[in-house]
Amino acid sequence: MPDDNKTTLRVGFADQQRDIEVILPAGEPRPWDARAELAVVGKPHPRIEAAAKVTGAAKYTHDVLPPNVQHAAVLRCPHACAVVEAVDVAPAKSLPGVSAVIALVKPGERLLFAGQDVAAACAATPEQAEDALARIAVRYKPEPFVVDTARAMEDGAPVVHRGKVEERVTEGDEPGAGGSAGQRGNVRTSPSMKKGDAAKGLRAAKVVHEATYTTQVHTHAALETHSIVVRWDGPKKATVWCSTQGIFSVRDEFAEVFALRPADVHVHTEFLGGGFGAKFGASAPGSRMGFIAGELARLAKAPVRLVLDRREEHTCTGNRPDSRQHVSLGAGPDGQLTAIHVRAHGTAGVGTGAGVGRNAFGIYSKCPNILVESHDVFTHAGPATAMRAPGHPQGAFALELALDELAARLKLDPLELRLRHNEHPVRAHQFERGRKEFAWDDNRKKSAALRAKQARVRRGFGVAASIWGDFGRGKAVVATVSVGRDGSVEVRNGLQDIGGGITTVVAQVAAEVLGRPVEAVRVRLGDSELGPSVGSGGSVTTASVTPAVRAAAEGVKAQLVQLAAKQLGARPEEVTLAGGAAKAGRKSLAWADLCKKIEGEAIVATGTRPDTYGHYPMKFMGGSSYQIAGVQFAEVTVDTWTGVVGVERVLALHDCGRVMNPLTARSQVNGGVILGTSYALTEQRVMDRTHGVMLNANLESYKIAGVRDVPRQIDVVFTEVHTGANNTGAIGIGEPATIPTAAAIGCAVFDALGVPVRDLPLTPDRVLAALGAVPARGGA
Amino acid sequence: MSDQVRITRRGLFRGLGSTTLIAGCRPGAPEQQPPMPPPDDPHARPQAPANAVGPGPAPLQFTLNGRPQTLEVAPHVTLLAALRLQLGATGTKVVCDRGSCGACTVLVDGVPRNSCMMLAHDVGGRSVTTVEGLARGEELSPLQQAFIRHDALQCGYCTPGMLISCQALLQRKGKAVTREDAEQAIAGNLCRCGTYPHIVAAVLDAAGRTG
Repeated sequence: MPDDNKTTLRVGFADQQRDIEVILPAGEPRPWDARAELAVVGKPHPRIEAAAKVTGAAKYTHDVLPPNVQHAAVLRCPHACAVVEAVDVAPAKSLPGVSAVIALVKPGERLLFAGQDVAAACAATPEQAEDALARIAVRYKPEPFVVDTARAMEDGAPVVHRGKVEERVTEGDEPGAGGSAGQRGNVRTSPSMKKGDAAKGLRAAKVVHEATYTTQVHTHAALETHSIVVRWDGPKKATVWCSTQGIFSVRDEFAEVFALRPADVHVHTEFLGGGFGAKFGASAPGSRMGFIAGELARLAKAPVRLVLDRREEHTCTGNRPDSRQHVSLGAGPDGQLTAIHVRAHGTAGVGTGAGVGRNAFGIYSKCPNILVESHDVFTHAGPATAMRAPGHPQGAFALELALDELAARLKLDPLELRLRHNEHPVRAHQFERGRKEFAWDDNRKKSAALRAKQARVRRGFGVAASIWGDFGRGKAVVATVSVGRDGSVEVRNGLQDIGGGITTVVAQVAAEVLGRPVEAVRVRLGDSELGPSVGSGGSVTTASVTPAVRAAAEGVKAQLVQLAAKQLGARPEEVTLAGGAAKAGRKSLAWADLCKKIEGEAIVATGTRPDTYGHYPMKFMGGSSYQIAGVQFAEVTVDTWTGVVGVERVLALHDCGRVMNPLTARSQVNGGVILGTSYALTEQRVMDRTHGVMLNANLESYKIAGVRDVPRQIDVVFTEVHTGANNTGAIGIGEPATIPTAAAIGCAVFDALGVPVRDLPLTPDRVLAALGAVPARGGA
Repeated sequence: MSDQVRITRRGLFRGLGSTTLIAGCRPGAPEQQPPMPPPDDPHARPQAPANAVGPGPAPLQFTLNGRPQTLEVAPHVTLLAALRLQLGATGTKVVCDRGSCGACTVLVDGVPRNSCMMLAHDVGGRSVTTVEGLARGEELSPLQQAFIRHDALQCGYCTPGMLISCQALLQRKGKAVTREDAEQAIAGNLCRCGTYPHIVAAVLDAAGRTG
């Protein structure tokens, strides 16, 4: 192997490009930079697995039905807080069809939310399993509970956790987030983010804007509910099918729970019906699904299928915490920010992780004094978990709307205020480009005119930004590429495609390197025996996997080139692979003929990805990775008589490094914008304060956006950035794309009305209350 | 469990009593109202008609994607459950299991229906089309091809229901399909990945190519 070598890369974006020198680790292919001319990567390509999805052939975990499979069901605690006095599963065991029943709690155990595991059964049919649950006798002693964030903070509120709280960390969490700085009552303080002296900055300010913003609990609501199928292949060996974003996290947790060697747990996730941060590990955040399915299967001596229903999915598989953010902004006479101070409280139910992201700390970083304090407030509700850019959409909403309110007081264009304080050159470029493409200046005049006229239907225009990091992981993925004697090309890796389109991107990378059509590349994923890979959280997938695939493909290519050189009587450096042939000067050899010369069955090479080796042009705070920039503009209409907000247009300008497949990347951004719109306008978990249960654990009153609720027009602009971070230049986009949407919509509503609506979701009653047309509802 | 406030559809069916339910799903009389107790005696149970099915599995015949099916299905089983668990036709998905998301949409005699809201015995003698029945052999339908071209799918879980709702629209309106029609057709289908804009584009494209 050659030693580490130095190379010059062309990096940057738009017209801001420059050459930098990087030291590449041994064996690492020279990165595709701004000068790279690529034939397949970067071109739109339909998903190669799409045919399976449009014909119903794609098998998801819900669809896995091994012979003699037993259907499991879980008895869940009906109380928000109760002590179990007695539990008797015996009466359920003798029912027809029932193959196993287990208690999951012991007498004396204190249960902390409605929906917590109590007992489980499996039977030949789903109905028989449900019947078995009805026969399990449990005596509860209900205890006082609190499900309301504000009340849980009061002195004398029922205390949720009596001991130290263990933090559950998954691959869905933002790297570097988490940790504790003390706990009192139900309030647990997270480490704060601090720069300069915010209190001093506020004292020195000429204008201070101070207000409280709230956001709601948001559930993932993936269409395929959490599900797991377990088949024991021996006393210490199991096959597991799981609807997961992290195949290896399932393998490792299942192995740990049953004291198995990880290599003896074979995990499959061929297709996954939606993953937004809650699907890691063999269990759901609020239900020990891996243990339940595994234990029932062991007792029943048959495969067991545990598929949650919609209610369970809402109540015990995680959510995005709510927030109550007190924001103070200080500005000098010239409109320069002197301080940003955010004090946030939010509930992650019985779990942790109610922080509000890095927006306030990291985006408008020319402000010299920043303090962001977050607190988890424990309540008797199912645990939160990472959800698409954990913390960020809530943080963005409060910060960006507060900035607009400050700008209004300063009589300053809110876009101008942002540009003055943003440090990231790509984000600045996005703000400027959006200003033109969105006709920002003209449109803001139009909205002002409608306000002045007191028009019934107003229009408003808002803008907000995102911050995320290139968290692509080194040394985590080992991809295998093979070229067979029959000319076939195959890529193998134990990765899951959660819908982002990585299967196709992997094929494109292999096709690019080997000069083959994308259709000729077979991609095998979704199986833990296909080689180590990453979980799809933190938007790391494309950045982690594609460099490993490229390295493997380059390894195969090098051997093929040697072979071709020998056949063509040329030197290896003269040989090119393209257009279905190996060529050297005028001589050429068809791909099929070249492959026939392969000795043995196939040429096989593996590839991995070294740690990130570049972060041009700007670093993400607290690490050495690249900071990803994004900006979204929103146009809304607001009917001031009904309070209904409609989103007319969103312009989303995002950076995801090299855009590997513009077609699937655009789908991901559409998805982020639509999720953000749904969060802004309609979604919210409603808890019954009297009974402590979720009232809308369904899809008719927990309202996720339908086709008529989404923006009438979504325009996606990628500002391609060459960061020199890895050999393909890819960065993730899944999470950044949803961060600024609700914030931009909130700002647009403020522009339309002239008064802010500081609480999400922006429901008609809140709009009317902000206008003074109806009284405001009680505390959020 | 008795103190848990929770009504499921199956629980409701159980509560109503199997006779009422079974009487309501006699083959060949789908439009007829289920027999009700006489008004003067609210506690009286209706008599099961001679041709009622149940309480155990009863024979059911219908056409699935052009092929005749004969199977034994218990009267309480939904069409969705029968398709997935008994016939292994897992292309149709369970998402909410109560008629609010459209993921389980199938065509029954050409009309899009939520298969979770129908009993299997409701389709006796009728023709059912699922996502597995849209292609002709290896050849994908123009709508399926348009979905692929426009990337009208991400995780793919809402896709079967979306395709069926859109197929019904194309069969009804052909080339005359407008954006509003497409939105109307999938207004009852939820997607969590955010595929709506591409689905609408795909339907309009397919309408152009179908004609």
